Amino acid sequence: MKDFKYADEKISSREIMIALPAITVGVGILSLPREIALLTIGVDGWIAILIAGAVITIITWITAKLAASYPGESFLSYASKLVTKPVAILFTITLILQSLLLSAYVIRVIADIAKTYLFDRTPVEVVSLTFLLVVVYAVSGTRAGLFRLNMLFFPIIVLITFALAMFSLGWFEIENYFPIFKTGLMDHLKAAELSSLSFVGFNVLFFYIAIVKDTEKAPKASIYGMLIVVSLYFLIFLVNLGVFGNAVTGNLVYPLIELAKEIEIPGGFFERFDSFFFVIWIMSIFNTVAMSVDVSIYAFQSILNLKKITYLFCVAPIIYIIGMVPEGALEVGKFGTFIGYFGIISSSSIAIILFTISKIKGGRNQPNATK
Amino acid sequence: MGRNIFRRRKMRQESTEGESFSAELGTDLDKNLQDLQVMIGSPGDLVIRRVTLGVNVNAAVAFISGLSNKEAIHNDLIKNMQRNREKEAGSDTPDELLKQMQLDLISIGSVENTNSLDKLTIDLLSGKSVVYVDGAAEVLLLGTEKWETRSIDEPISESLIRGPREGFVENLQTNMMLIRRHIRDPNLRFDTNEVGRRSKKKLVVCYMEGIANPDIIKEVNHRLSSIDMDGAMESGYIEQWIEDSYLSPFPQMDNTERPDKVASSVLQGKVGILLDGSPFALIAPITIANAFKSPEDYYDRWLIGTFLRFIRYIGAFITMFLPALYIALVSYHQGMIPSQLAFSIAATREGVPFPAFVEAIIMGITMELLREAGARLPRTIGQTIGIVGGLVIGEAAVSAGIVSPIMVIVVALTAVASFTIPLYSVAISFRLLRFGFMIAAAVLGLYGIVLVYIMINIHIVNLKSMGVPYSTPFAPTFIKDWKDLVLRGPIPMMNERPRNLQPKDKRSGNLRR
Repeated sequence: MKDFKYADEKISSREIMIALPAITVGVGILSLPREIALLTIGVDGWIAILIAGAVITIITWITAKLAASYPGESFLSYASKLVTKPVAILFTITLILQSLLLSAYVIRVIADIAKTYLFDRTPVEVVSLTFLLVVVYAVSGTRAGLFRLNMLFFPIIVLITFALAMFSLGWFEIENYFPIFKTGLMDHLKAAELSSLSFVGFNVLFFYIAIVKDTEKAPKASIYGMLIVVSLYFLIFLVNLGVFGNAVTGNLVYPLIELAKEIEIPGGFFERFDSFFFVIWIMSIFNTVAMSVDVSIYAFQSILNLKKITYLFCVAPIIYIIGMVPEGALEVGKFGTFIGYFGIISSSSIAIILFTISKIKGGRNQPNATK
Repeated sequence: MGRNIFRRRKMRQESTEGESFSAELGTDLDKNLQDLQVMIGSPGDLVIRRVTLGVNVNAAVAFISGLSNKEAIHNDLIKNMQRNREKEAGSDTPDELLKQMQLDLISIGSVENTNSLDKLTIDLLSGKSVVYVDGAAEVLLLGTEKWETRSIDEPISESLIRGPREGFVENLQTNMMLIRRHIRDPNLRFDTNEVGRRSKKKLVVCYMEGIANPDIIKEVNHRLSSIDMDGAMESGYIEQWIEDSYLSPFPQMDNTERPDKVASSVLQGKVGILLDGSPFALIAPITIANAFKSPEDYYDRWLIGTFLRFIRYIGAFITMFLPALYIALVSYHQGMIPSQLAFSIAATREGVPFPAFVEAIIMGITMELLREAGARLPRTIGQTIGIVGGLVIGEAAVSAGIVSPIMVIVVALTAVASFTIPLYSVAISFRLLRFGFMIAAAVLGLYGIVLVYIMINIHIVNLKSMGVPYSTPFAPTFIKDWKDLVLRGPIPMMNERPRNLQPKDKRSGNLRR
């Protein structure tokens, strides 16, 4: 911070710390309590969230550590060093695909939710399109700007979550938590597997760590970032179960928004808090999509140097069309599960493969890579 | 600029063909005076006074009557020239005589000599007087500038309840003096530039050496040097020429009439820009947070300052969102309004033939009309307009069934809220953005509002003011600067300059207990 270094496109590790929750927290958590509640008994689902959270945090750390051991190098460049260039390109494309599919899924879900909670007559297509256009506008700006946007919106998201939790206290009943510890081991694992899908998004670390100023702090920052996500999910799940109980939560499509519907804001300004809550939550969803699209550009530019705008205009229609393909809630749900698995499995395996190889090759590569 | 005069001169040369006009300063007095008259077109306010010096040496004094201090010219120049003929007779050559006059006879502070007709003309037109001596190769330029100025007044556009009552005036020297009186530090710099092809006005960049980041100063100077226009009537010309983005609705520089505000900004590491002839100084760089800061925040105790800032943030929120929220709630999300209120809104909207959006636009435009009319009219009539508009039109519109009473409340509240924002230029862009929000709310309800809100945020994070991101210190985050953001910390605690400006000297004081 000695010189006047605003203009350059570098970010700090603190921005990485905020970017992780900003990209991860999105539509997944809106329905996560239901999915867990369906598999577990009582409030036992918290174990699943913690298990999934712990596993993902470790993988996130591996990813960050891997990328941070090649400071300033793009994913393609260090992956090529570890596993030949063609494989590295394959990995990059997989990650790009993952980001694009995630964006497509999210813009679809946001439209569906908007239809449910905001307006029932406006067509899904319009809602998705306007959202995508705003994303295009955001991504066509600077990358540093996107990280600043995360910094601006994320506190609002945390605030509204805490506010929701606070207001819920009046509806909170401890009996809803019982019985505890009745879920079988397999169900726990299955629930953990499902909840891990809501943690998709840490693949941005593969790419963004290259533009972090204080690279050595990045792995720690990413752990903190992921822990923020885990605690947020944990809190939301506990509050949800406390208010609705296991059976009801299992039957609500978006338990988190329903929670906002159930409670009453003191002062009586809003009859229904759910629409308002969802509207605020759109900012978080927006961050998810904007970061995903941007990381896909960043990754793509490492393979083929295309102008940002050109790429955006090519890729935005594709995202839109993919998003519009699934018909009905069931197909959208399946699509989501597929993306979850695809995202988690591909990014985890890429992280683990590269990390292992870099550790094996470590003795030779490390000196010139990290000084 | 030399080129322009040359061009003008050439034109003159053509028009006055046969009169033998010469662009250079000669040694012949009559010829020189004639050239000067041709050059500036012998205007009525040009005074040429011939004097005889020493042993019959012809000399002349030229000045523009309205721009010069006549008393000084009479008493300290002409009188001295006339009363010291013996001394003057001691000099042999005209050049020596000129030198002697400069050192010995003329009792005016600033004396320069030149042999350039260009410089002579420009200096003459900015109020200096010229002394010609027949036979001498050079002339003397005397600093006799003086003209009628407004006296220092309370700043009209930024009145405070507590704080200095002095405001800038149109005179640059006075303005510099006003700042100097706040900061008596040898490191206070006033770098003088000149702007305008034709107006050739003085422009002063004011900063603290050793506090302000050199890169910011370099950036400001670089941009100022790029200015190329005929004239700068007001500092607004400068602002629009050097701002980062002319597409942005947000001003990227602060303008103020208050010397204390410029002084405190300069002490924080910002740069002030003063233009001759304008009582508005520019301050750069600024961030979005500056829109909510007023000098008064610092003059009152911190609790009051903080409270006022909260009020302004709420004010900005209401200005931008309230009409849009009303439209969205009434036309899309009736379910969100508490049922009793919903019933009463529905009842009052019973006879209104328009949808909420049209209603809001009608009232919004009416409000802007009233504001503009009030601003254009003399102050006494302006108040009448306010009363007529506010009471009569509002009341009559409701009883005529054009708008609902709730809408009147919404619009009135919006108007009042928009006046809480201290920066007039920001307040006006907030009001402009309000229409954007209203359209979005009419099309997509709350969803539209949040999308526009996101878009504005995108714009702000990409916007810069003199290279400093507009969204600091929110993001890029400088937690230490948050002491002076929404919160206005106690003065003894605020002993560091804002980090977001990356000042060279970080501390402004120490807290001793």
